[in-house]
Amino acid sequence: MRRPSAGGAALPPSPSIRPPMPGPAGSGHPGHPGHPGQPHQSPNGPPLQRPPPIGGIQRAPSPMMRPNMSQPGSPGMPRPFQSPQIQARPPFMGGHPGAPGSPAMNPMGFNGPPNGLGQNQSQPPTPKMQQQHLQGPPSQHPPHQPLGQDPGTLGGQMPGPSTPTPHAGHKPKRMYPTGITDSYNEPQPSYDQAPNGFQPPAPGMPAPGPGPVLGPGQVQGSQFFVPGEKQAPAFGQPVPAYQQGLQPLAGQPLQPNMNQLAGQMGAMNVGGGGGYGFNNQGPMLSTVALMGAAPKILDLDAPPPPINLPATASITQSPHANCDPSYKRSTLNAIPATSQLLTKSRLPFGLVITPYRSVKEGDDPVPVVTDSIIARCRRCRTYINPFVKFVEGGQRWKCNMCYTLNEVPSSFDYDSQTQQPVDRWQRKELNHAVVEYIAPTEYMVRPPQPLVYLFLIDVSYPAIQCGMVATAATTILESLDRIPNDEGRTKVGIITVDSSIHFYNLGAESGEPQMLVVSDLEDPFLPQPNDLLCNLSDCRSTLEALLNRLNDMFKDTQNVGNALGPALQSAYKLISPIGGKILCLQASLPNLEVGALKMREDPKLLGTSKESTLLQSASSFYKTFAVDCSKSQVCVDMFLFGSQYTDVATLSCLPRFTGGSTFFYPAFTAAKSEDALKFAHELAEFVSQRIALEAVMRVRASKGLKMSAFYGNFFVRSTDLLSLPNVPRDQSYSIEVSYEDNLSIPIVCFQTALLHTSSSGERRIRVLTLAVPVTTSLSELYMSADQVAISTLLACKAVERGMNSKLDDARDALTNKCVDILGVYKTHMTASSSGATPNLQICDNLKLLPLLTLGMLKHVALRGGSQIPSDLRSYAMHLFSTLPSQCLIPYIHPKFYSLHNMPEHCGTIASNGIEMPLAMNLSSERLERGGLFMLDDSQNIFLWVGRDAVPQLCMDLFGVPNYESIRGGKTTLPTLESDFNQRVNLIVGKTREMRRTSYYPQLYVIKEDGDPALRLWFLSHLIEDRAEPIMSYYQYLGHLKDRVNASSF
Amino acid sequence: MSAEAMVFLFGVIIGAGLLFVKVFFVILISDLEVDYINPIELCNKLNQFVLPEMFVHAFLSFMFLICGQWIATAWNLPLVAYNANKIMNNKHMFDATEIFRTLGQHKKECFIKLGFYLLSFFYYLYRMILALVNDS
Repeated sequence: MRRPSAGGAALPPSPSIRPPMPGPAGSGHPGHPGHPGQPHQSPNGPPLQRPPPIGGIQRAPSPMMRPNMSQPGSPGMPRPFQSPQIQARPPFMGGHPGAPGSPAMNPMGFNGPPNGLGQNQSQPPTPKMQQQHLQGPPSQHPPHQPLGQDPGTLGGQMPGPSTPTPHAGHKPKRMYPTGITDSYNEPQPSYDQAPNGFQPPAPGMPAPGPGPVLGPGQVQGSQFFVPGEKQAPAFGQPVPAYQQGLQPLAGQPLQPNMNQLAGQMGAMNVGGGGGYGFNNQGPMLSTVALMGAAPKILDLDAPPPPINLPATASITQSPHANCDPSYKRSTLNAIPATSQLLTKSRLPFGLVITPYRSVKEGDDPVPVVTDSIIARCRRCRTYINPFVKFVEGGQRWKCNMCYTLNEVPSSFDYDSQTQQPVDRWQRKELNHAVVEYIAPTEYMVRPPQPLVYLFLIDVSYPAIQCGMVATAATTILESLDRIPNDEGRTKVGIITVDSSIHFYNLGAESGEPQMLVVSDLEDPFLPQPNDLLCNLSDCRSTLEALLNRLNDMFKDTQNVGNALGPALQSAYKLISPIGGKILCLQASLPNLEVGALKMREDPKLLGTSKESTLLQSASSFYKTFAVDCSKSQVCVDMFLFGSQYTDVATLSCLPRFTGGSTFFYPAFTAAKSEDALKFAHELAEFVSQRIALEAVMRVRASKGLKMSAFYGNFFVRSTDLLSLPNVPRDQSYSIEVSYEDNLSIPIVCFQTALLHTSSSGERRIRVLTLAVPVTTSLSELYMSADQVAISTLLACKAVERGMNSKLDDARDALTNKCVDILGVYKTHMTASSSGATPNLQICDNLKLLPLLTLGMLKHVALRGGSQIPSDLRSYAMHLFSTLPSQCLIPYIHPKFYSLHNMPEHCGTIASNGIEMPLAMNLSSERLERGGLFMLDDSQNIFLWVGRDAVPQLCMDLFGVPNYESIRGGKTTLPTLESDFNQRVNLIVGKTREMRRTSYYPQLYVIKEDGDPALRLWFLSHLIEDRAEPIMSYYQYLGHLKDRVNASSF
Repeated sequence: MSAEAMVFLFGVIIGAGLLFVKVFFVILISDLEVDYINPIELCNKLNQFVLPEMFVHAFLSFMFLICGQWIATAWNLPLVAYNANKIMNNKHMFDATEIFRTLGQHKKECFIKLGFYLLSFFYYLYRMILALVNDS
């Protein structure tokens, strides 16, 4: 106990509660002339000294300090607690350049209540006062200055009766007039005494146990105080002893720090030292048995385990201070303090980031900081965020990643547009975890590029034949208005290719497009220097004329050549000075010159260990070309159509390294309106997306952690810098995190910064900050593991493994991971730590991990067997590594609904949109002979009709008299008058639009006795069933159990 | 000067050259790790040396073979086979898109080759001196 032995009561009361004393204006501290030179710790000496701060933070709070945080007397006297918070504000405001002498200060409450109730605070703002404000901590709390700084310097950890740290008073001393500096130093004794005033078991006071931590609401309320309203009463009231102690502490200039302390300390007390700042009040670890019950799949949509940050971890306590899981989620919502703990738990540690998520109606838009004031740490370049600490009266901030002190930019509290001081606590970057800055010129190497869309369309015989060219031309024509073109800078160009390359002069005076043919494929050149790429608004009519005629121009072609490689090279020549997007629409295998590909699929290889060679790129041209593109900010997107082998594996290399997307339409024929609709919808959505251009992305983490592996579509330009020529909406990136050092901090932060040019031509930085507590306990670690994020990360890792070594390895790795996690859990978290157990147990929040793993094992991307063409597999793998969790989870574990017996309200429009039926377990037990079922895997929708479906159902839904007349396969549901048809149509419609991607799921009708291939395809989604050679869910659990029991962890 | 001395003198010179190339590789790879160089540049620089290095090494081994230096040939043969295998599988070049994933591997290989060339260098030097002493 560090409490001073000298009785607190005997000592003079702390300055803050001195009776109001209207001292002469300008002399800040009339009460202290008596002890000018008193040394800081003189009365109490060494016992009071707090050990110097070591890296930080988690020093056990001395119990006697706790009452500061709780509100023992709150019902009776809220005021005294509020008042210090009020006092906390001024320094920031005072610190801003517009302030001196401006009368605005008082109305905004900088100088305390104008009503004269406070003692020093209430002095009229004389010029001298203002001066002091400007320079540093507010003059009204001079005695508290050293302490006020202290917690800040410590990262807001704990106020204690303290000696000043090296920082304390260091800067102000230089800046203040000597008189003031002296008076700053002088009142130290009263600090030392302060704590005496509130010994924990003070009579009449609640025990200091888990006292109510200052709630966010309370604090929030007090942050925006009304001058004079709350401050004064403290002085007029009889102040209980413990408040005397509180007072000086609370007088710290930095209220938010104080709140932070409160939160941390409160949490630490509860935690009993078990973890750093982890709040144990959350749900306890609940273990569930896996076997013997159907998995509770409804929990797949549950939110991730809560991030139990102390209530006051963020300085503003804004509800948006921490990142939304749809932007960024961590696989672990409590970070192990040591790498040993992580290794012991065997849980994968990584981040799943979707930085450029689309914002639909009803979502909060990303707030934009418009004033170009970007506060960044000078050492680690972290952006200021809600988890930093302000110290030294708000003049500096302490980075929450590397703990460097940084100056707050001088105009941080000032609105240059209105010429008014602004409240720092209202700043968006301190209130929102997801924020966008408008970047000044330092963040540009050139003026922001305009949007450029260059369509590279295959017009060889197969492409014309399947109707791709006609559909594409119509779609592009119809979406010209939807292409983002805010400033009229968007450029568009079209190149068509067969065995020669055709350019189109879009800038011709006549308004007639002019075709220029280049047949030299060895050294393709641009036939003319300009007008091949033309401003969308200027060349609109020419472009329309061209698109209208495009299909007719080639409709009789017999040319089967496809010189994609040379065409790409010339497209690159055309576009590389600006950068932009090349959209390749390819319906045949490139077969001429560089980049020619062979039909390399060999059914004999499928299902063998050699299969992964088919999943790797066949030609090095595409990789090198992708690297060149990435260097010149060119992105290539692939729309692949094909009735035959299209080598998705090779062609998807281009999007993979240039931040693009791949779309694959197997067996596309525009004669089927469903095919055409799907393609048209996706292409239109894709070109109308407001994408980001010339982007780089970097993820920073608190000291001790580093990003070790990256998965997704981008080029890794240095150890932690991802370069993305384009950032499409809703593409997800997974990043594995590893340890460099053990963590000795209570909260770890991950900050993703995406520097990009928006489609409206602004250079912007999108910053996502995620703060997660650190823990030392294995149970907290397990309790906070996020099965959805873990599955997303594991899916990416499995795909990488499958492509680079063998699919078998990938599958084994998945199962091994599952066994490891279950085994460690069994050994360390359950009673039956060793020996065989009859059941498998895992914590509630990981209970679906085995099911999701099984889903991946049975998925087209990873499933064994020789039935899956490598194109389909490559495409599924591409989706695995780019889909955001929201779509990936249904892709792995489809949603399965029973429609024939759904409750009345399903499929009707309720207050929160269209009501969906409850999802069911993916097992064929659920299928009924007379039923209608829907299965949705986020890429396709299946309607399964049982063979005994009653004619009424067929009539209501399909408008046909009986089951026999239903046509299976790709279908569009008719729109009928019947209630049931409308409800099903609504459900299908909702399924198509409820996720945030541009994929348009296609509807298949599966008849129970229909086409066997379709039926098998449908049944392969029922992953709880046994599907040779992979086990059923229960068999899989049994297999996991045997392996868990067989090995030791 | 005997043929033996000649071939080992040749070996010493080539060995020194190979040694330098490997040191250059190691330096560039560590530059990449600390972000002094971007992967595209690194690969462009390193790739122009990969094949020459392998061919020069194969040529040296061939020289030892025709001069009947069986020990030296046997010592070099595994590396020749390893290089040949890499070329056959088209894995000899540095790939900018994969470089960070394979960096550890590349680094390890570089250090092993560096050690190999160092040992070879001293062996050739020793044999050269031995041959010269025997000559005189």
